[in-house]
Amino acid sequence: MRRTYLGEFEEVVLLMVAILDGEGYGVTVSQALEEHTGRTVTFGTVHNTLIRLEEKGFVRSELGGATAERGGRRKRLFRITALGSRALQEIQQLRQNLWQLLPPDTLRPGGL
Amino acid sequence: MRSPVKPPRWAHWLLIKLHPANTLEEVEGDLEELYTHWYNRSGKTQATLRYLLNVVSVLPPFVRRRKTNEHQYYQQPGSRITSSLTSIMIRNYLKIAFRNLKRQKVSTSINIAGLAIGLATCVLIMLYVQDELSYDRYNENADRIFRVALKVRLNGDNVGGPILGASAAQDLQQEFPEVLKTTRIRNQAGEFVSYGTTSFKEEHLLYTDSTFFDVFTIPFLEGNSKQALTEPNTLVLTEATARKYFGNQDPVGKVLLFGREKTPYRVTGVVRNVPANSHFRFDMLASLATYGEQHKGWIYNMNYYTYLLLPEKYDYKQLEAKISRLAEKEVGAELQQFMAISLKQFREKGDDFGIFLQPLTSIHLYSPFGSIELSPGGNILYVYVLTAIAVFMLIIACVNFVNLSTATAVRRSREVGIRKVLGSAKGQLQLQFLIESVLLAMMALMIGLLVVGLSLPYFNQLTGKTLTISLLINPFVAAGLVAGAVLVGLLAGSYPAFYLSSFKPVLVLKGKITAGRGSFSLRSGLVVFQFFITISMIIATVTADRQLRYMRTQKVGFDREQVLVIHDTHMLRNNEAVFRDRIIQSPQVSMGTISGQVPVGNSVMDNTTVMSKENPDKGVMSRFYFVDDAYIPTLGMQLVQGRNFSKSFATDSFAVILNETAARALGWEKDPIGRELIGNTDDNGAKTYYRVIGVVGDFHFESLRQKIGPLVMFLGRNSGNILVKIHTDKLPKLLASLKQQWESFSPAAPFSYSFLDDRFAQVYVGEQKIEQVLTLFSSLTIFIACLGLFGLATFTAEQRTKEIGVRKVLGASVSSVVALLSKDFLKLILIALVLASPIAWWGMDQWLKEFAYKVTIDWWIFALAGLLAIGIALLTVSFQSIKAALTDPVKSLRSE
Repeated sequence: MRRTYLGEFEEVVLLMVAILDGEGYGVTVSQALEEHTGRTVTFGTVHNTLIRLEEKGFVRSELGGATAERGGRRKRLFRITALGSRALQEIQQLRQNLWQLLPPDTLRPGGL
Repeated sequence: MRSPVKPPRWAHWLLIKLHPANTLEEVEGDLEELYTHWYNRSGKTQATLRYLLNVVSVLPPFVRRRKTNEHQYYQQPGSRITSSLTSIMIRNYLKIAFRNLKRQKVSTSINIAGLAIGLATCVLIMLYVQDELSYDRYNENADRIFRVALKVRLNGDNVGGPILGASAAQDLQQEFPEVLKTTRIRNQAGEFVSYGTTSFKEEHLLYTDSTFFDVFTIPFLEGNSKQALTEPNTLVLTEATARKYFGNQDPVGKVLLFGREKTPYRVTGVVRNVPANSHFRFDMLASLATYGEQHKGWIYNMNYYTYLLLPEKYDYKQLEAKISRLAEKEVGAELQQFMAISLKQFREKGDDFGIFLQPLTSIHLYSPFGSIELSPGGNILYVYVLTAIAVFMLIIACVNFVNLSTATAVRRSREVGIRKVLGSAKGQLQLQFLIESVLLAMMALMIGLLVVGLSLPYFNQLTGKTLTISLLINPFVAAGLVAGAVLVGLLAGSYPAFYLSSFKPVLVLKGKITAGRGSFSLRSGLVVFQFFITISMIIATVTADRQLRYMRTQKVGFDREQVLVIHDTHMLRNNEAVFRDRIIQSPQVSMGTISGQVPVGNSVMDNTTVMSKENPDKGVMSRFYFVDDAYIPTLGMQLVQGRNFSKSFATDSFAVILNETAARALGWEKDPIGRELIGNTDDNGAKTYYRVIGVVGDFHFESLRQKIGPLVMFLGRNSGNILVKIHTDKLPKLLASLKQQWESFSPAAPFSYSFLDDRFAQVYVGEQKIEQVLTLFSSLTIFIACLGLFGLATFTAEQRTKEIGVRKVLGASVSSVVALLSKDFLKLILIALVLASPIAWWGMDQWLKEFAYKVTIDWWIFALAGLLAIGIALLTVSFQSIKAALTDPVKSLRSE
């Protein structure tokens, strides 16, 4: 079966959605990104990536209930789908397999 | 925690204006939250800058649009997004459309019937017009073939025609290199042709040059076009004629015998039948070489239809000018020779002539030479009128459609309201309505085509054509029809589609939508338009019918009842008189006369100038009749003065009988008897004079289209027909005995006969057809207009249900309610009548100008048409208004 391609940034965002476990939306995802990776990205990039992930079926979203915060505007909360978690696991598995193949001393720095 | 800080308003405004609507709410919220976050961490300036940057990042073209509705989350990953044009939606549109059409049976069937009839009429007329326009186009060189025609004014009459003398073709070919080919046709219809014991009268026999096949495209089945008609006494037959004479035998080389002299003609070829859309028709072609050396001349022996083949893309007007110069010379010389006057003198007398070229493809519809044509032509005027009728019918059908669809708007407006509340977009609603009307139009097209197929035989009978539906099978035409129907559907559906879908759901659901003044005046306009056309058609039909009746019942000046005409009696040669004398022995036959002239239709065309002895300079153009002494009594004509020819006066061979018009024209109103006319001059220069012995009452010797002209009757032998007055009720027996006696002379012609009154009716076949066509189309327009009115009445009645309920509760009677509902329509019809009357009057006045004897268009015709229209309209409307008036007010008022 053709695997859906998952880009590096998409992978990180997807991981963030998984980490936030139902609490992920535009703000939390971008804040977590900044906090954990130190990358400062525009909000639009996160917004677009979330939409793209949803189109690919890796996350699903729903509008949360209105709260008194942020002028009563609803949040769109994202949650990882089964397909999304399988994709993440496959990537992880692939990486691990590749690490296994690595000769022991290759990555040691210096190496006199 | 409430956010105490707000992002800059203008940046926020930018976001609201430009960000996609379906994700605006969440993005707005997210950005505000982020702003607060940045504000708390880095201060106002930093926060504003970052906010701005991030707003830009979610504006087009950077932002990704969420294309979905809520359903997306439950779909398989990777499947495409739904839109209003997916198969599911289309299926839904169709299903809803069918349900709607089924639920509103009355308006659906009215719509379909109206459109179907409109389309059927359109298709029929299209077939007819296409056929009329296709005349002679089957020729490969149709655009390069021209006919030379002559217009001549002689004594104030136009006596020209498309015919020239024998040598014109040859002269033209020698003189002008641009004339590539010439060919001549000479019409010899009515020849008797026999093979063995069978003999036929050939009504479509032409004599042509062998170049005929180089100019016209008539394919050979047998024989060779190059050699077919080169020799004298050779013949080419059409397939059908070959079969008629020879059955399945090979006709080439066989010999047919022509006429009384039984001249042998050898068949050298067989060609395909001439297409029906040809300006000439022939069953056989004989070689002009048979005639041998012809008299030279352009205007001497004018019997030849002369055709030229010109080079491609050649401007024929150029050649026309050159030919005119040559004609001046040739005709001038001939005038000098025959009439001893020069062209200049000829013109000074007020006479004139000119030559012009007729493009082959224009002959059928535009040629002005009616009865001199090889076969009766069409009329471009009828093509225009019919096209106009077709367009009107289509417009009316569309108008009805729009009318009915808007009329049902109220019923559908609830549906529209609910749909809008449930989230249907405007575009989807429009699509729904358009699909419904296109569906309706397609159904109407199917039914219309069915109607065309079924009515084509009758239509052919009416028009005398052999139209087939095969034209419609042509993929282009079929595609055009379907596209046309779709277009009509869209056109007719667009008004209700855009009107209905723009209803405000709240208003609709509250029941506030009623037809506004604006749409009512549009609908009224449409009704006026329909009745305008209907009333015009009624006036035209009534006038045509009156004219026809008038012509049929007009006293023609002779007795046409019980007169039997036996044809072709000249084929009996010297036995003609013997035969006549023998048949008048029969007790059922009272009188018989031999004459070529039957006073019905255009039997003989020639006019001759006669002059009175005392006033030889004043010529009177008159028709000559050569008759015997039994002619006047047999036809029951009235002698006003003097006496009939008689065998007992030997001098009667130099006697004439005038009709009243001739007597007046010669200036002899008072005492015509004994006056003398100048006859021809014999070789010794001695003039003969003809003495007037009687005056016969004017009778119509042509159709009523022409005025009665001067007529001079001579006593003379003039064979051709025998007219006998019969009085019998055992007609078959008499005819059998006549036939037997005819055959005892074993003539080359079969026994054939007609009755004078039948022939008289034949003359007006053209007018009769016009009347039938008018009757047909006016009843169709009335029908369609009624359908429209019916729909509108239904609508009005429904609109005013509550009003009627209230009125009834307050004590209105049924009749007053009916009157109330009908009054509006009456007003519209009266407006239509006022508009239609002058236009119809003008049109019919033009038509009547063709007739010298005609009815007047009286005011009562307009009144009748108006009353008829009102009556029909009331009948249509009353059905609905009575229904509305009889409704129990409880029912109509309870629904509030």
